[in-house]
Amino acid sequence: SNSKDTRSTSDEDERGDTTQQKAQEEILFHEETIDLGGDDFESEENETVSEDLNNFVDKLNEQMMESVIISDSPNNSEDDTGEFGCLQEIVEQMEAKDNQNAQVQVDKEEFLSNESETEHEETPKDISEIGTDDQASLKEELIQEAVKEEPKLGSSVAVTTKLNNTDESKPEDQISSTSTSKPSSEVEPIPVCTIFSQANNANSQPHLFLPDGFEPQMVKSPSFSSIIENTVKSNPQVVQPSPSLSKFFGDTVTTNALASDFFDSFTTSNFISVNNPNASSSVPEQMSALANGGDGASSNPTFTVQNGRPDEGAASSSVEVNQSPKPFSQIQAVFAGSDDPFATALNMSELDRRNDAWLPSEETRSVLIAVATQQYSTMFIDKENLTMPGLKFDNIQGDAVKDLMIRFLGEQAAVKRQVLNANSVEQSFVGLKQLISSKNWRAAVDLCGRLLSAHGQGYKKSGLPTSHTTDSLQLWFVRLALLVKLNLFHNAEMEFEPFGNLDQPDLYYEYYPHVYPGRKGSMVPFSMRILHAELPQYLGNPQESLDRLHSMKIICAKILENLEHGIAEDGSMTNITPENRQASIQLWRSRLGRVMYSMANCLLMMKDYVLAVETYLTIIKYYPQQEPQLLSGIGRIFLQIGDIKTAEKYFQDVEKVTHKLDGLQSQIMVLMNRAFLHLGQNNFAEAHRFFTEILRIDSSNTVANNNAAVCLLYLGKLKDSLRQLEGMVQQDPKHYLHESVLFNLTTMYELESSRSMQKKQALLEAVAIKEGDSFNTQCLKLG
Amino acid sequence: VMRLTKPTLFTNIPVTCEERDLPGNLFNQLMKDDPSTVKGAETLMLGEMLTLPQNFGNIFLGETFSSYISVHNDSTQVVKDILVKADLQTSSQRLNLSASSAAVAELKPDCCIDDVIHHEVKEIGTHILVCAVSYTTQTGEKMYFRKFFKFQVLKPLDVKTKFYNAETDEVFLEAQIQNITTSPMFMEKVSLEPSILYSVAELNMIDTTGKSESTFGSRTYLQPMDTRQYLYCLKPKQEFAEKAGVIKGVTVIGKLDIVWKTNLGERGRLQTSQLQRMAPGYGDVRLSLETIPDTVNLEEPFDITCKITNCSERTMDLVLEMCNSNSIHWCGVSGRQLGKLHPSSSLHLALTLLSSVQGLQSVSGLRLTDTFLKRTYEYDDIAQVCVVSSEVKQS
Repeated sequence: SNSKDTRSTSDEDERGDTTQQKAQEEILFHEETIDLGGDDFESEENETVSEDLNNFVDKLNEQMMESVIISDSPNNSEDDTGEFGCLQEIVEQMEAKDNQNAQVQVDKEEFLSNESETEHEETPKDISEIGTDDQASLKEELIQEAVKEEPKLGSSVAVTTKLNNTDESKPEDQISSTSTSKPSSEVEPIPVCTIFSQANNANSQPHLFLPDGFEPQMVKSPSFSSIIENTVKSNPQVVQPSPSLSKFFGDTVTTNALASDFFDSFTTSNFISVNNPNASSSVPEQMSALANGGDGASSNPTFTVQNGRPDEGAASSSVEVNQSPKPFSQIQAVFAGSDDPFATALNMSELDRRNDAWLPSEETRSVLIAVATQQYSTMFIDKENLTMPGLKFDNIQGDAVKDLMIRFLGEQAAVKRQVLNANSVEQSFVGLKQLISSKNWRAAVDLCGRLLSAHGQGYKKSGLPTSHTTDSLQLWFVRLALLVKLNLFHNAEMEFEPFGNLDQPDLYYEYYPHVYPGRKGSMVPFSMRILHAELPQYLGNPQESLDRLHSMKIICAKILENLEHGIAEDGSMTNITPENRQASIQLWRSRLGRVMYSMANCLLMMKDYVLAVETYLTIIKYYPQQEPQLLSGIGRIFLQIGDIKTAEKYFQDVEKVTHKLDGLQSQIMVLMNRAFLHLGQNNFAEAHRFFTEILRIDSSNTVANNNAAVCLLYLGKLKDSLRQLEGMVQQDPKHYLHESVLFNLTTMYELESSRSMQKKQALLEAVAIKEGDSFNTQCLKLG
Repeated sequence: VMRLTKPTLFTNIPVTCEERDLPGNLFNQLMKDDPSTVKGAETLMLGEMLTLPQNFGNIFLGETFSSYISVHNDSTQVVKDILVKADLQTSSQRLNLSASSAAVAELKPDCCIDDVIHHEVKEIGTHILVCAVSYTTQTGEKMYFRKFFKFQVLKPLDVKTKFYNAETDEVFLEAQIQNITTSPMFMEKVSLEPSILYSVAELNMIDTTGKSESTFGSRTYLQPMDTRQYLYCLKPKQEFAEKAGVIKGVTVIGKLDIVWKTNLGERGRLQTSQLQRMAPGYGDVRLSLETIPDTVNLEEPFDITCKITNCSERTMDLVLEMCNSNSIHWCGVSGRQLGKLHPSSSLHLALTLLSSVQGLQSVSGLRLTDTFLKRTYEYDDIAQVCVVSSEVKQS
């Protein structure tokens, strides 16, 4: 092996050169290089690692599994260089991760020297074989380095990529690279959102904000300013839909016109009205036409009157009111009756009271009382106490699936991808629901945004005075809920911010006595409060979540206590029939249970298992029908901790209460728990047997199918496992194109072969057909 | 190659709404349709869906390293005589982990050879998994390649011990076990395996009304960085206790055996090295108190019993002297002969004394003189006794 020796010396020389070029790097790697080189070219199989090891031990503290050195083949065949390619790939990732330069440098140089040799051997056509996918991903990683590396490294990577594709030994590398890669090192396809800085807001309407920034806002009842104008009375029960939103919210809306046209004109006009408080008398005719146009839903009682804000926006509200004389007259009628206790009682529906009840803080309560008692006088409210939300970012519409298709399958394939977007549906609640149920949540978020813009709470509107209606808050809820569902927690947090703690006076019906005469309680949907409370835990602040949930719990408990003491939810002395009281108690008990659920989930996230288990146990009190599921869940928590015995105890308890479920369901649950228990005892074979047992009685059970496949892998049956998962996905894509299933599948593809890319792309195509824009593409591991 | 850590359970993010909310039951329906939720209790975050490990994770001393090794034929050719070998190289040794060393006759395209290897890691530091594959191509060419996968084995626990020597020859062992991993750890077993000299009693259970409960309450697990304190009482076994000289100097107490479990029953086990303690030196002659009242009356005599043990290698002839201090007055004759005392034997001695001062008084002033070597041993602060005036004691 003379030739080998000479080669390795020349290697060392070259290395020496490169080392000097990189004089700023640590000196250490020079020796290391030699060691590695020696190993690469001279060592026999059995003497290898022990020498190297000592060098490695000190220098690498990375605990991730990673490929260290790739050895030669006896013949110095092409495998040789190929493996360097792989090494390079891993090293790249490693560096992207932690800039552990010394080691990386060595490997790189080693590679370089080899490259120079092999270039003579390899035919040029190889170089042209550069795989697009690998190259793409590698280049991304390279960018980070390029700043400090010599340009020639760039070329080495290109070769690397080529080698990768032709390499025999790629499977291992693929896997090892996945096992080393951290999410942070990968370029995540986060949808790009344009975020408007808040600074712009101040500029858009500077005159509203006086320099001192602390301007008391005048609050007066619109009726005060406008009561003189009209005295026509009509039936107070007729409720006019909101001029701003009815067009979009009405179920009977027929128009499918491009919404944007409408929004533009509408928002602009709204804008003007706020700007010119004195312009109220000169409202353009077209506005009233617009407001009334297509108002087929006027008789729909669920739409409540929205006629503006009682704060300094009173001017604008009077604009809106004045625009349409007819509804205004009706509103006047309502106002006239607003201090009549009977009218109040009539307007306050049982359901509304039950659902909207909420206990405001002392401060808020006093403001609300003031609003109620000083209807005809002017009062001032700090702007800080008002809720002025606005969209914080431009549309997040985007289809990650399509982006991936363009990248991997080409434009043509991507054209076939057809999903609904905000433009392709009715600009209404109906369209919104359509988008949600077709899992196009991004588009749905968009549509919410448009509808909110129409309400004057669009982009850059945050911090501007506005008024709230039941519908606007529901829209906000839907939008924020979808953002959370899309894991866009930061975006949700930003848009939640103006709502404060959801206790500002203008979020209560009492604040708008003229719009919602007699109606009491909070406009904020209970679910929105839950969402608001849960949000911080997803942003790494579970303590804040717990605090919020605790205060919700206190209010729910207080409301329940009120109900049980024979008074109304809010503590008033309203008479409630026994049936209604019972229904109320039921509702609030389940709400309290929901809060407890969130607390338990939050505690689980905090890994405070003892408290979490305790809380889950108390939930059984509120949702007795869920006892078997809850006990099973607790059992799984203990399994996760590793406390198999306690887990077993809970699983046994489950078997005592399964009579709460129907036969099949209880059978499945018992089998499932047994399977999990075997899993905890490291008995994958038995676990697999039980999961398969479930499939015998319920062949469509997604969980059992997936779990059985996972067990197969642990039993060393990769191919069987793959077959099972693939079969599932093909037979029933509706259920099996789930993040977790696909994640497992792609992981196994990577383990199986270097050809995993093709199979992953096939999955992408399947996803493209079935899934909406909310699909989380990360589970395909295509990036 | 893929490390087989235990799979994890998929968690979902529940987003619910009420019927009267704008989406109606849409959100709830979406959650029902999601296969990863728990049917009937969709709000429960922890689902039942297993997901495969996403990264290598951490491996700790005492845990079992499991790995899936798959050799897949990506080519279009059939290859023959495939031999897959998996070795684990540690800083001190090289272990063969492959289940079988027999060569596989042939591997068709798109087929694979699978193996799952297990190994309980017994060393800290760098481990390298070496996978070697050799095969013969259709043209008869011998091919060979190897792969190296490196990982670090970390220390999972920090164990600190402390000994307390009781007057009665018992030894109390306080062991602090800290979880220095990043995940919660369920302590399945922490026990002390005593050396042959001792018998052990675990003091980690509270016996409340017949039901013994762990001193750690319902918290059966250790959070990351949490420390637990275990207490053990060791008694010298009867046969050794008699021979006082035996337990002298550095003695081996025993070792702690710790078994823990983490995610889904991933098990780990560690033993400490032999714990050693320095037995308190008693010099040549040891004087220990057998009985003493805790409270005595002022100026009234009381009895104590002492045990005098010859810890030396020679026979002693002892003389006892008793010296009064400010408060302690001995009764009886000072300078009496105690007679010959053979090595490792002991004698009991009843003494009477009284205190002239109230309060907590220290019993001091015993002197033993070995007449053979003319060596005097002084014993002060042997014990303390609470002296009260007789009226107090009676009332």
